[in-house]
Amino acid sequence: MKKLTQEQLNGWLDSLAQEQTLIAPVNLEDKLLYREVSGSQGIAWGFEQTDMSPKTWLFPATEPILKIVQGETVAVEPVDAPAPKVVFGVRPCDARGALAIDALFLDKDPMDGQYARHREATTLIGLACPQMWESCFCTVLGGAPNSTEGLDILLTEVDGGYAIQAVSEKGKALAAGMPGDDEDLTLPEPVLKEGLPALRSTDEWKEKFGEQFWSRVSDRCLGCRACTFVCPTCRCFDVRDEVVKRRPGEQVFERLRAWDACTVSAYRRIAGGHNPRPTQHMRLRNRFYCKFMYYPEDFNALGCVGCGRCIDACPVGIDILEVVAAVDEMVT
Amino acid sequence: MSTMEERIRDAAREYLEQEKVTCVIGYERSARGVVRPAFIYEADDVERLIWGEDCNLDLVTYLHNFKHPPGRGVPIPKVAVVVRPCDARALNLLLYEQQIQRENVKVIGLTCAGTTIRGEPRTACQFCSERVPVVYDVLIEADGEIDVPAVQDEYADVQEMDDWTPAERLSYWAREFDRCIRCYACRQACPGCYCYECVAEQVEPHWSSIALELPEKHFFHVMRAFHLAGRCVECDACEAVCPMDIPLSKLNRKLAKEVEALFGYRTGDDPETAPPLATFDPQEQLRM
Repeated sequence: MKKLTQEQLNGWLDSLAQEQTLIAPVNLEDKLLYREVSGSQGIAWGFEQTDMSPKTWLFPATEPILKIVQGETVAVEPVDAPAPKVVFGVRPCDARGALAIDALFLDKDPMDGQYARHREATTLIGLACPQMWESCFCTVLGGAPNSTEGLDILLTEVDGGYAIQAVSEKGKALAAGMPGDDEDLTLPEPVLKEGLPALRSTDEWKEKFGEQFWSRVSDRCLGCRACTFVCPTCRCFDVRDEVVKRRPGEQVFERLRAWDACTVSAYRRIAGGHNPRPTQHMRLRNRFYCKFMYYPEDFNALGCVGCGRCIDACPVGIDILEVVAAVDEMVT
Repeated sequence: MSTMEERIRDAAREYLEQEKVTCVIGYERSARGVVRPAFIYEADDVERLIWGEDCNLDLVTYLHNFKHPPGRGVPIPKVAVVVRPCDARALNLLLYEQQIQRENVKVIGLTCAGTTIRGEPRTACQFCSERVPVVYDVLIEADGEIDVPAVQDEYADVQEMDDWTPAERLSYWAREFDRCIRCYACRQACPGCYCYECVAEQVEPHWSSIALELPEKHFFHVMRAFHLAGRCVECDACEAVCPMDIPLSKLNRKLAKEVEALFGYRTGDDPETAPPLATFDPQEQLRM
């Protein structure tokens, strides 16, 4: 297996940043966010779990998807194709999160063109977790801290550098240009957590839909969007045509797509004001059922990869692992 | 001598056993050790209630969830809520704004020596000399006297921002709001933010784009701060819940300072006095 030293990796990233947009975890006032960097220098080396997933680089928090020019006629113009980019330092759970988003946008017809262009333009370089962190639980969802699933390249920290595993064709092409030497390497086994609850089947979740537990767990829910925005698999969005320019005889609109969240009351409100999920407990329950029943059943994909970010981000201590454990207990 | 925690539990047990309330809203600690709101419906569950310096949420916010009848012909539920002195001011604000009825709420007031956010003493507490809530039905007092800090300038923390040029202020807040993800946790945690439809989400008129970008984030926070001018009780719940650690108390306290200087008004002293920006008095003299 090929191994490169930290210096070699830094040099390679520095030159890569000259050719493509390089995205990596950076430390902004102690918050770890995936942002554009100009080289290895700005990267928050030694990070554990980031506060936001790299989701926004595949499925942007905000993005124009069409331009509409309304004059004497109406012209619809496509938006520019996304520039090639490399996201470095992707955790294995987040790569599985990208696969979950693919299930909606790519794996079923009609395919989402803009998402497909982002996916095509993006290379994911993973960094294996040496251990499971404080809030995460990827193993409950069938993942592993050193999983290669969904990544193009996976780097694993070893003595004196990083072992390179090129996973996809795209990854192999990029890895071919990486410096380093072939060595006889044994990859370290990540430290796993003990005593995590078991994820119940979608049928078992279905049985528990009417339990009072759901209203009790959501009593404290504020109805904000923190859990869904930090989530690497939540993929709901809002679309609106917004005026960007207005002059006599001509109006220019952008069709904007921005993240949305099922936890807020306006999400499901329809014309005329009716809301099919009128209470917070229905809304929060939906978030969990989407992850563990609807999405697996409808899209044959995971709705949760166990990154644990929503546990840390929830301002009122709503804990998805506690919910998984409670369902496990209710079934037993 | 029982601890504050035990006395909170006793008060909660009594309210539930005597069926004076259907629910007690207090604090509990999750298995991970995180402080979070607790909703206690059974007297047997009162042992979950805790109190500690990291209890930094404003539980008065949750009274909005209990202000309407849950169904046709069903009365508005009666609940008890644990309040710190700042939260009690929020209660007065909501009483003035006719959001809640006093007879539907039992107030378990705590004397408070200040709370923390992410392990640090929170800003407003360092300038706060209020130890006893302005409104309560039962008062749970800390053992012994609580020191009141000798504060020279009640808004010393805002002075720095006052000294900045407009350009410096803009760049400071642009840097802070850059991290904002527009999750609205600050708004949702705020007892004073309860509009059925927030300006930030309104469709007609369409004040703000749905974009999660800096101009919209800036607009949202500045708009929210202005809507809370003279209404903010400085409970700092917004700052406590922010997943991006944005120092929102600085923004709110700047406006509190202005309101106090112009109108001599502090939010929530009593449930009768109108917040200055909620009234129009042609004779009003600003203290300029």
